[in-house]
Amino acid sequence: MVEYTKTEFLIACASSHVKDGEMVFGGTGMPLLAALLAKETHAPRSNLISEAGFIDARPREVPLSVADTRYYYGCSASIGLIETLGFLLQAGRIDVGFLGAAQIDEYGNLNTSYIGPYEAPKVKLPGSGGGNDIASSAKRLIIMMSHDKRKFLKKLDYMTSPGYLDGPGGREKWSLVGGGPEIVITDMCQMDFDSATKKIRLKSVHPGFTVQDVQENVMFDLIIPDDVPTTDEPTQEQLDIMRKLDPNGIYLGKGG
Amino acid sequence: MTEAEVEDKRITLAEAAKMVNDGDGLFWGGFGYQRAPIAFAHELVRQKKRNLTVYTCGSEVDLEIMAGAGVATRYEIAFSAIEALGLSYNIRRRVSEGKLQVEDYTNLAMAMRFLGGALNVPFMPLRSMMGTDMVNLKRYRGDDKLKVIDCPFTGDKICLVPSLQPDYSIVHVQRVDKLGNAQIDGIVGEDLEGARCGKKLIVLAEELIDTSEIRTRPSQTKIPAMYVDHVVILPYIAHPMMCHDYYDYDLEHLMMFHKMTQTEEGWQEYLDNFILGVDNHYGYLNLVGWENLHKLRATKPWGY
Repeated sequence: MVEYTKTEFLIACASSHVKDGEMVFGGTGMPLLAALLAKETHAPRSNLISEAGFIDARPREVPLSVADTRYYYGCSASIGLIETLGFLLQAGRIDVGFLGAAQIDEYGNLNTSYIGPYEAPKVKLPGSGGGNDIASSAKRLIIMMSHDKRKFLKKLDYMTSPGYLDGPGGREKWSLVGGGPEIVITDMCQMDFDSATKKIRLKSVHPGFTVQDVQENVMFDLIIPDDVPTTDEPTQEQLDIMRKLDPNGIYLGKGG
Repeated sequence: MTEAEVEDKRITLAEAAKMVNDGDGLFWGGFGYQRAPIAFAHELVRQKKRNLTVYTCGSEVDLEIMAGAGVATRYEIAFSAIEALGLSYNIRRRVSEGKLQVEDYTNLAMAMRFLGGALNVPFMPLRSMMGTDMVNLKRYRGDDKLKVIDCPFTGDKICLVPSLQPDYSIVHVQRVDKLGNAQIDGIVGEDLEGARCGKKLIVLAEELIDTSEIRTRPSQTKIPAMYVDHVVILPYIAHPMMCHDYYDYDLEHLMMFHKMTQTEEGWQEYLDNFILGVDNHYGYLNLVGWENLHKLRATKPWGY
């Protein structure tokens, strides 16, 4: 049996959703490792882009920032933000974006800005950065989160980035360029979206978890299909590559 | 062809910061860990500037310093965190205390606001933010934060953001000549638009080079001299952040900074030691230690 951490499982799982030849916004952290892993395995022709301006990047060490020079060496173009978020993303040329969030609702809308009331926030979170731009305009969105009941809410404290907004027709009403969230991956399960209602739906549970575990850890009515398979485990090859990409455990953590 | 006698735009860091008046607005250059004008933030703190408004996409340690020291009370930004290291504790505290107001935009929205200012048009359209609280909720800008309209040509919904022409643009680059021809290596982030939108532009550079050297690599001149009002030359302007091809970030210092800012007491200790406790940027660099700084120097061909 392969041994892996929750983080490694999440990354391997997310990486499987990147297709070969796609234009991918990588960011930092777990999404970056997922994109790099995809490139090293089943999607060698995927094009990794950082919003700071790096295009077709092949970092030899994991960057700590989207603007980290570690993104530079080996990339095929190094430009700027209007290029990546404007000419590429807003023009509809980005296939996949990855986002994390502190809170998500049943339509896949995300909060990365405030915990507590906007007028007197308890915690100021990082904000949108390029997150709202990516959620608005990437063709598909892969959302990665740690699973915690307080994060899966009926109503967000603040909606930073659009999922399907208020349901069917929501994105169209605002002429959003991108297609919206495709999948939500947590350390417990994978969820996708029902095409008719645009509501979040359980897709698979990770080994060691049950449908009930998931239901008990969301604060809205999760759609449960008749058949909920178990998520595939990472392969030894995926784990080896991941650990080689992040030998110091910057994002994989140590022992996590 | 012989060079005509030219203006020398070089001034000191202290002289540059002195030009900034309380209540001014600043475009703040650099992106993420790259080319952050940290030395300028330090000097604004030492000169006890107050009530500044800072406009940028996503700066990190510099925004923490200016919020923590009470230099800036308004931010129009897209992002505040130390990325891989975690949340911005100073900003988080100042927002909770009501001492800092953050008007939230996205990275593209801010870049478009700088582009609009540089082009001298009053607003720019974009396709982000719509349908979310970024449109619905506003702070001090009120209805002037943005507008969502039906496009007069297509009828589609479109978001308009107001252009920016702040009092000063502060940009950190690798090399400059004394006329102000500024060369940037690596990514430019939003610095091309940002440098051109301010009423005055102060360029901070790691290295002074002769104009004849500028002319050997004109494609690297990202900000031609005619935009530049003043030039400040200093080493390690971005420390503890990075400057592409010149030096890497100082992860040890960065982690110390992040840890100390977790508490107000810790932050005050950092502020007293590293910023108020020194006379100038060289005092700061002496404190960090030249042996440490030397270790950060970039290795070819990696650039870090």
